[in-house]
Parts: sequence; structure tokens; C-alpha cells
Amino acid sequence: MVNTKDSSFWTNHLLRRAGFGTTPDELKHYVQLGYNKALNELLNPKQIDNSQLETNIQKQNFDYTNLDELKRWWIYRMAFTKCPLEEKMTLFWHGHFATSDRKVKNPYAMYGQNQLFRKYAFGRFDDLLMAISKDPAMIIWLDNQQNRQSSPNENYAREIMELFTLGIGNYTEKDVKEAARAFTGWTTLPDGFFLRSNQHDYGYKTFLGVTGNLNGTDIIKILASQRVTGHFLANKLVKFFVADDPDSGMVNRIAQVYIDSNHSIKAMLHALFSDPVFLSEKAYHAKIKSPAELVIGSVKLLQVKTLDHNLPKIMASMGQDLFAPPNVKGWDGGKAWIATDTMMERFNFASLITSNKFNRLEQYTSASDLMYKQGLRNARQVVNYFAELLVDGDMPQSTYTTLTNYMSSNSTGTKTTKIMDNQTLDAKLRGVVHLIMTLPTYQLC
Amino acid sequence: MNISRRNLIKVGLGALTYYLSAPQFLLLAAGASEITPRTIGKSKILVIIQLSGGNDGLNTVIPYGIGNYYQARPSLAIKPDQVLPLTNEIGLNPNMQGLANLYKEGKLAILQAVGYENANRSHFRSIEIWQTAEPNKICNTGWLGRYLDHVNGDKSMGLFPSVNVESTLPATLAANNVMVPSVSNINDFRFKTDPRYYNDHKAQLKAFNEIYKQFDLNRPNIDLLREAGLNANEASDYLRRVVSTYKSNVKYPNGKFGSGLQFIAQMIVGGVNAKIFNVSLDGFDTHTNQLVTQNNLLKQLSAGISAFHEDLQNHQIADDVLIMTFSEFGRRVAENGGRGTDHGTAEPLFIVGNKVKGGIYGDHPSLKNLDEGDLKYKIDFRSAYASILDRWLSVDAKQILGRAYDIIPFV
Repeated sequence: MVNTKDSSFWTNHLLRRAGFGTTPDELKHYVQLGYNKALNELLNPKQIDNSQLETNIQKQNFDYTNLDELKRWWIYRMAFTKCPLEEKMTLFWHGHFATSDRKVKNPYAMYGQNQLFRKYAFGRFDDLLMAISKDPAMIIWLDNQQNRQSSPNENYAREIMELFTLGIGNYTEKDVKEAARAFTGWTTLPDGFFLRSNQHDYGYKTFLGVTGNLNGTDIIKILASQRVTGHFLANKLVKFFVADDPDSGMVNRIAQVYIDSNHSIKAMLHALFSDPVFLSEKAYHAKIKSPAELVIGSVKLLQVKTLDHNLPKIMASMGQDLFAPPNVKGWDGGKAWIATDTMMERFNFASLITSNKFNRLEQYTSASDLMYKQGLRNARQVVNYFAELLVDGDMPQSTYTTLTNYMSSNSTGTKTTKIMDNQTLDAKLRGVVHLIMTLPTYQLC
Repeated sequence: MNISRRNLIKVGLGALTYYLSAPQFLLLAAGASEITPRTIGKSKILVIIQLSGGNDGLNTVIPYGIGNYYQARPSLAIKPDQVLPLTNEIGLNPNMQGLANLYKEGKLAILQAVGYENANRSHFRSIEIWQTAEPNKICNTGWLGRYLDHVNGDKSMGLFPSVNVESTLPATLAANNVMVPSVSNINDFRFKTDPRYYNDHKAQLKAFNEIYKQFDLNRPNIDLLREAGLNANEASDYLRRVVSTYKSNVKYPNGKFGSGLQFIAQMIVGGVNAKIFNVSLDGFDTHTNQLVTQNNLLKQLSAGISAFHEDLQNHQIADDVLIMTFSEFGRRVAENGGRGTDHGTAEPLFIVGNKVKGGIYGDHPSLKNLDEGDLKYKIDFRSAYASILDRWLSVDAKQILGRAYDIIPFV
């Protein structure tokens, strides 16, 4: 509840944003560390022994040339990694440098790009921008293999400025044309990046006020050193992690960290998760969960052990098809996740996971067994237990009442005082979980 | 009972827009008995087809008899003998036989060189400009959203003022006082519960509705979520009932676009009293190897529209429907080095319907007198909108678009 703002409350908040929520055991681990140490652990994935994840992934034998298996591989990582912020940042960069396999048509190249995001997730932005500019999937996605001195293709030049660094309005059409010339010949071969020097334009160019024999590397350095780039990134990070409508003071603070830290993404994230705006009541349960957050979060909260093969499709039907963002701008997020039909998909995912798939839960053998283990003696206690677990107890009194009545009534809605048989209890218990997962607050993180 | 409870629900400032739509909401809660059925022959329905990615107009409405087309498009130009001729200068892409037939029947109007001053070549900004009809500032409502707001008091609008057949609402339909439902797949569009405990389905649904109607929490997105959740269930019940009456032998093209159009036909035939429907066809951003991609998309577009028209014709309701296509921009005149085209400016618009005055409106844009390699627009896109608002939807276009624009007599 909001009025008990102790360290565990904020650590839970942190993990919903910097991760995908937690299992009860994971939450216990982070709460024991305390907020600051938990944040440090999240920001330093290389110091964590994540070998169990890699071993389990090897056992699964994912085929990275198959798009559906590639999606399942990533979902598996998000669900079972010990470094959740690493996966969350990979998702952030996937949305930022939004590349879709619908055009690239090469899942293995998409896999390579995904690993690139993981590798550079917390480093200097310049290095990430350089790596992504040479990434085969990106080169195909934005047509740079067609960008030749004789006939420049402006697609990459335009998007690197509009969507990856400066933002619209901070460059001219002339800058687009000049940057396109600088990236001529940057192409890809089956084994990776290749500079076709006979197609590169070695002439003089003037880009954002700098004149010289500029090439792609120069353009990237110039872009990364712009103050507006820091601001553009800060705004996007705050939007992704804190609030759909970013606080301008906070964005300015994070943008300043970009400059002061010589473009360190880790420093920006540290400042972001330590910012008073992030740790304010206003930020609590204020963001709408993305489909990834909703699906992975549910798997974690309910401790599902075996992931449903349909999870990629389910996430896609909620509006987030991994490796296939809707366009170069990535997912809009926020309110855009919510439409009449995506809402219904959320409800039906809740139904799916609580009905036939519920049997694969680690701690669930039967309703009566669960109630016994958790010491739940009546309908109200069952409702309280799941409300606490699933929505941090954040629901109005009327909802407690309705759920308790539902739990203690038979299927015709008549209140019963009889002791339920195990089957009715099972139906009601699954029903309560399903209903809590359909709540407005369950859609929030 | 529902009504008084809903009135008690407090709303935050940010939720003002959702609060204002409460009257419709009450209608929704009151159930289908309150729905006024559409009067056939008197309705004016508009179907918007958004061609996402920037459709290359020059390979859609082809200037095969105008100098410079073949020079500018060495690998992309469509040969004169393949073009479906409309005049001795211009013709349609060979994959659009269906639209060519509609043209012959006088049911297709083509608006040439539609665009706006200082064209923006960013996909996102330019689509926003087309959707909001505001080139000079960021605007929170779409041109049809403002239309919906404008006629909100009109009781004949009933339950669904508009339906978006995509999973995300385009800015076109963003309104201040009206929430437009988005439904992309009617088959899966229902509240499911554990199949093993079917007896409990009703109890769960009842609990769900009770919880949602009373879900009063002071958080930013709560009202949006609550309304979307309630809308989802009510819309599901109603739409599933409506479309169950539809029968048709018309074959729509496979894929999301074809099935989207068919769903719109189902709703129109079934009596859904919406004035605006929206559907999109994606993939027009053809920077490389354009021919195959665009030809395939234009084929879907043409086959989809003609199937849709035939279906409505068979149900004797085609007179009530007007279709308009648009894209965020056309593409450069000269092809690039990758057998594709880069972002450009002006584009042709298609308007289809029985009540359309078929023909070509405006001259084909010059391929020689260019603006830095791009076509110069001749018709302001808001003229097309104003004509539809004024002559089809019968509202004062000025109130929706902020000022008067030339009316083009295509309808």
C-alpha cells in the first residue's frame, strides 16, 4: 500500500521498472540488499554469476535462424535471468533502434543485433551508436547497402538523426544529404560489416557546421557529442522507465549526466533510478505495463516454470511483437498499449495462465494445499493474499468486497456458508487470481 | 443502478476526456436495446484506408504519356503496354484491375498531386500532419476525431460512433469527447474464463463488471483502463451479435487488410451505426526493390476495395458508403540506387463509392518542374477533407478544419 513507503516498497517499485517484476524469492533477495545495493547489482550485470541461465538456454537448443524460436529465447532470458535490467535495456534499445525482421528477413542477424544491445547496454553511447551503424540487420533495415556515391540512399542518414540521436527539428535536409554521403559504402557481407571503398564518397562535406572529408565515424562522433542527443536520450529513458509524460526537470538532470559522464548510459540510469521524481508517490503505479512487462511479470509473480510456446504470439496480439516493432520509431508505449482489443487480449492472457496453464505452477498442487501452506482460512484472506502478491494491495475497498463475495458464493452467485468441495474451491481460487489480473492496477507498474 | 454508480465515480484532471464520454458509456451499459439501428439508404458512412509507409504515387497513377517518367525511373517504370490506361497520358498500375473497373463505372475519383506546403519527409510527422490536418503545430485530435466531437450530440450516432479495425488507434480518430473502440479480430474478441469451470463463467463476468464499474482510484491511467475494460466487454457482446447475421460469397484478399475490410462490411451490413471506419495497409516504405513489394500491396488494395464494394452492393447498401485512401507522402521522382524510391511529397488520393462523381481531379504533377527532386503539390489535402466533411458528412467543414478550403466536387 502506498502509505507504507519503506525500503521494500521502493525496491519493489524499482524491480517493476528496472526489471519485469519479481518472484517472491527474488524480491526477498533485493529487499535484503536494500535499495542502493539492489540498484548497483542491477547496473552491474557482469558482476553477477548468470551461468545457470546460459546452461539452461544451451539445454533448450534454440534455433536462432527461426524467428519464433528466437522470440522464445529472448522471452526465456527475460523471465529467468539474474540480470533483469540488462534485458530491460536490451528491450529499450530494441525499441530505440527499432529494427524489424519483417524486412531484414534474417533471424540470425536479428539475434546478432540483440546480443549487440546486451553487450553495449550500459556503456558509452558513442560505442553503441558505432556498433549499431555497422550492424548487418540495421544496414539491411535502413537500406545502407544501397547507399553508394553514385546514388546516395538517405534512409539511414535521416533516421540516425531523427530517431536515434538529435530528434526532429535539430538538423536540416542538407544535413541529411551530407550524412548520407558520409555513410556511402557502409555495407554488409555474410560475415559482417564491410566498407566498400569504391562506393564511398571521399569528397568534402559540411555536417552540422563541421566541414571536412567526413565519413560515417565522424558523423557518429559529431552526433554523440551534441547536447541535444543527451537530452533526446534522457527524455526517452525517462519516458520508458519513469512516466509517459516526463518531468522536464528530471529530463534536464539526466541529460546533464550524459554530458558530465562523457556519454555513459550506466551513469544516466544510476541518476534516473536515484532521482526524487522516480522515488515519488506520483511515480508509483503510474505507468502502463508493456506487453513484455505484463507477460514476463505474470510468469514471475505466479512462478510459472514452463513457458507457454505461444507467449510470443500472445505478446504480439497485445501489440508488442518482438523483433517486429511496428515501424522505425519503435513502440509508442504508454496509453498506446491500451485499446479495446488489446485490453481483451490482456484479460484473456490472464484467463489462460490461471486456467489450463496454472497446473504448471511451482507452488500449486491444489487449492486446498495452497491455502494450507499460506495459512489462508477464509475467502477474505485468500483475496488479501493474492491482492498483496499481484497488485501490491493497490485496489479500492469495493474490489475487496466483490472478490470476497465472489470467492464465497457458488456459481449461481448465491452466498454459501457450506465448506466448499475441492473442485469448487479450485474454480473459485483460479477465478480470484484471474479477476485480480484483469484489474486496472494489474496493468500498471 | 449502473447509472447512479457511474456518476459517483470521481475523475482526475487527466481523465477529463474520458469523463466527457460518459453519456455514451451509459448507453453502452444500458445494453443493446438502446441502440438505434441505422436507416439504410440514409446513412453516410466513411471508410478510411491508410497506406502506411509512403506510397509511391508515380507507380500507382502512372504518367506513362508524360515526358520524363521513363528517364526518372530506369528500372522501376511500368511499360506503357502494361499500364491500365485512364487517359492517353496516365493510367493505373497493372495490379489494380479492380479499381480500373470502378473507374470505368464512374465510381472512382482520383485526386492528383495532393499535399501541403513545406512537406515534411519524416514518416511520423507527416502521417501526424495528414491525420490531424495540422501542418504547423502538434495537435491532439484527428480531423475525424474532431468531426466525432462535433456531432457528439447527434443521437443517431448511437453506440459506436466509429470503429477502428486496427490494434492501435490512429490520430485520425483521436477525439476529446468520444472514445473510438479498436477491434482487429472479432473471433477472439470475447471475455474467456476457465473452460473446465464453465458454470462459473457468469459469476466471474458479473464480478468483473461490478469491480470495473466501481474501480475508483486516484491514479493517472485508471480511468482510461477502466473505460477500455468495460468497453471491451460491451463491444464484444454487441459486435458478435451483429456480425453473426452476415452472409457473403465475396472473396476478399488474404491477409490482415482483406479481413479488416470484410469485418467492416460485416458491421455495416449488420447495422452497426458507426459513421467512420478505419483500416490500414502497411509496407509502402519501398527504399529498395520497390516493384515486387509495391505491386503486391497495390494488388491487395485494389482487390480489397473491389471485393468490399461488391459485398456492399450485394447487400444493397453500397450507396451509403464512401471510401478514401491516403498515405503520409508520395516518393521522390527519381529512383535511388537500390531499385527503390526515397521519401517524397505529393500523392494521388482515391475516393470510391456509388455516389462518387468519377474522374480525374487536377492535373498530373509536372515531372520536370520539381522542388529539389520532388513533385509540387497542387491540391491541399484539407480540400479533400473539407469536400468529404461538407458534401458527404454534411457538416460545416470550417468548424472542423479551422478555416475554409476549396471544395472539390467529387461527391
